[in-house]
Amino acid sequence: MHPIRKQRLYVVLSILLGTAVAAFLVFKGLSENINLFYSPSDLKKEKISVDNQIRVGGMVKKDSINKENNSLRTSFVITDFEEDLLITYEGILPDLFSEEAGIVAKGKINEEGTFIANEVLAKHDENYMPPEVAKTLKDKK
Amino acid sequence: MIVEIGHIFLIGALVVSFIAGFSPLLRFLTKDNFYYMVIGPMNNLVCLFIFLSFISLIYSFLVDDFSVAYIANNSNTLLPTYYKFAATWGAHEGSLLLWIFCLCLWSTTYFFINRKKDEEFVALTLSVLNQIIFAFIAFTIFTSNPFERILPVVPIEGADLNPLLQDFAFTIHPPLLYLGYSGLAVPFALSLSALISKKIDSVWAREARPWSLLSSGFLTLGIALGSWWAYYELGWGGWWFWDPVENAAFVPWLISVAMFHSLIVTEKRGIYKNWSILLSILAFAASILGTFLVRSGILTSVHVFALDPERGVFILAIFSYFILGSLIFYSFLNNKLPGRSTYNLTSKEFGFLLNNILLVILALSIMFGTLFPLIYEALNDGDQISVGAPYYEILILPFALALSILQGAGLYLSWSSTKQFNFLNRVAIESFSIFVILSLLVFFIFGTLSWGTFLAIAMFSWIFSGNLVDAVYQSTQLQELKSILIKRFGMISAHLGTAFLILGVGIVTTFSLERDVVLQKGESYKLGSTHFIFKEIQEAKRLNYSFQSADIEIREEGLIDQISPEKRNYLSSNQVMTEAAIKPTLLQDYYVTLGEQVGDGTWTFKLQIKPFIRWIWFGAILIALGTFVSSYRYVKRL
Repeated sequence: MHPIRKQRLYVVLSILLGTAVAAFLVFKGLSENINLFYSPSDLKKEKISVDNQIRVGGMVKKDSINKENNSLRTSFVITDFEEDLLITYEGILPDLFSEEAGIVAKGKINEEGTFIANEVLAKHDENYMPPEVAKTLKDKK
Repeated sequence: MIVEIGHIFLIGALVVSFIAGFSPLLRFLTKDNFYYMVIGPMNNLVCLFIFLSFISLIYSFLVDDFSVAYIANNSNTLLPTYYKFAATWGAHEGSLLLWIFCLCLWSTTYFFINRKKDEEFVALTLSVLNQIIFAFIAFTIFTSNPFERILPVVPIEGADLNPLLQDFAFTIHPPLLYLGYSGLAVPFALSLSALISKKIDSVWAREARPWSLLSSGFLTLGIALGSWWAYYELGWGGWWFWDPVENAAFVPWLISVAMFHSLIVTEKRGIYKNWSILLSILAFAASILGTFLVRSGILTSVHVFALDPERGVFILAIFSYFILGSLIFYSFLNNKLPGRSTYNLTSKEFGFLLNNILLVILALSIMFGTLFPLIYEALNDGDQISVGAPYYEILILPFALALSILQGAGLYLSWSSTKQFNFLNRVAIESFSIFVILSLLVFFIFGTLSWGTFLAIAMFSWIFSGNLVDAVYQSTQLQELKSILIKRFGMISAHLGTAFLILGVGIVTTFSLERDVVLQKGESYKLGSTHFIFKEIQEAKRLNYSFQSADIEIREEGLIDQISPEKRNYLSSNQVMTEAAIKPTLLQDYYVTLGEQVGDGTWTFKLQIKPFIRWIWFGAILIALGTFVSSYRYVKRL
């Protein structure tokens, strides 16, 4: 084979190989690590398996935050002004977590319909609503 | 008054950069090369105008001129003077002005280094740079003007600078990052003028290299500083979150690294010319995307486009003009001649090729993951998803592994074809000895070992031997070693930097300890072999916030230190913020965050131990140092 041809073959082959590996990893990564977002109303309509890790979001209802004494457990209710969802979380909550703040929680829903969060996010800006929450609230208002 | 002056200077810069940017068109009309003479001074005038405009915005911040909307939203009278100054780039509008200022610094530096060179080439490069400056000033003035007034009712007090940004590292993080982002415009402009003037050769490659090295170095510092800031300021102890904003800086970094490696081959062997040009376009595309993604919030949802269509459309227009425009130029004017030198699978050329393929594919895959939620949302009627960090972790590991192998071996490959493979045995033996010693050390310190650490130590040892140990082993005389080390200093430093970074990442990911606990005053908690003792809690007030602080004693065999995590309440915005307390030691950081009161004298805490975390940033500093030294040498030789 002509050396230039051969050279081109190497180039094409290595690009193909690299792309194939990346495509495989992207596909695998995406199929395992996509977290769907649900609003409390979505959850009422759809049945979610207890094994699926999902994200939920909404506004923390007034007077719904319940902190257990001498423990890390907190429960609270989020709302999209149509449906409510009870969330429990064990751990330290972010600074901006408060009543009427928009939050997003990651975790699983249990048999009783309570959401067991393993991560709670409230963005670090008091004017900021997570976009999903902002959209949910806007749709429902 | 000062505000109007700043505004007028900005408009002046808009006009002058427009004239400078499109002055090459004059040549078609007048057949005169007059513009060669004036484009340099015009470029410097733009730089001066932007500087004065920037200064007037800073001044207005310092004197608390709340009639300006941007200042009223991002500053306040209680803010310490230094943070008033830094608040200038605390949000979208001001940071755009900073971006433009950084680009002006680059274009002016370029002009002064090259003013005695090929007139046509320099003029073309400056005109491309000024078109970019013009586009960004237009975007600033028409969609995000920092000089806009709130009249007639002027607020008496400003909102506040986000307390998270009231921090020294965060005030220098944006300027460094923006120097990196905007620096990528220079190789881009050089590529375009090389395409137009048909001078895609070794000289061009040698000229483009220091600029891509410098941008890369500033991006490295900017990203590392951002990571360090997130680590100590957010209170979660994380140093990298695969957040869209972080990815937006990481992607241009990867491409710029690919670019300055590819340019070596173009300079030394005269091949990969088209590829280098394509990379410079890709790098600038990533830089524009990154710039807009970071502060405009578009990545979080396509709805931001809908909320603020003007900005979205403007961004798309700028992006298409430069990127599609340059790709059209590229497809018509690229170098059609095949490269003259040939190489085979064992050559250095092929090593560089693999390096580039790996870096670019990795960059594109990260970009894909970052943009995927937007694509998904658009295709699935508004259903929203997020791509979790594991996606990126799965992705990056094989690429990091392959790149490390190349980094250790690449140095020994010869151009065209490698005949001698003795080095493989030597480097293998050297790296194996380092591997064994380090593994034992790590086992001795942490008591366990895992796959992840083995892998990280192996990568570290391989890069370390290939870049430094073997050079020491092989040189017979001290003089010889010294000259090798000096000659290759930039490369060795950057490659060792990645080795330290990999080791740090490997160990901190495997051996970090973390626990949320409830502690009564006087109580202690044992995490690993460390006792954290909650001693005391007190309340006090500082300039613009009140705070509670806990005293935590850290004990291992003896007392290590006492640290005080705080919970602050910022008075003007009524925003609560935790300030983690960190005790760094050579091998690990002790990290305590104060939660909240859950009973009488009882508080929640997050306790963490982060081994080797500082090695990550130390590695980044070495990488940046390497790029700066290399680019300095290139500029000196020009």
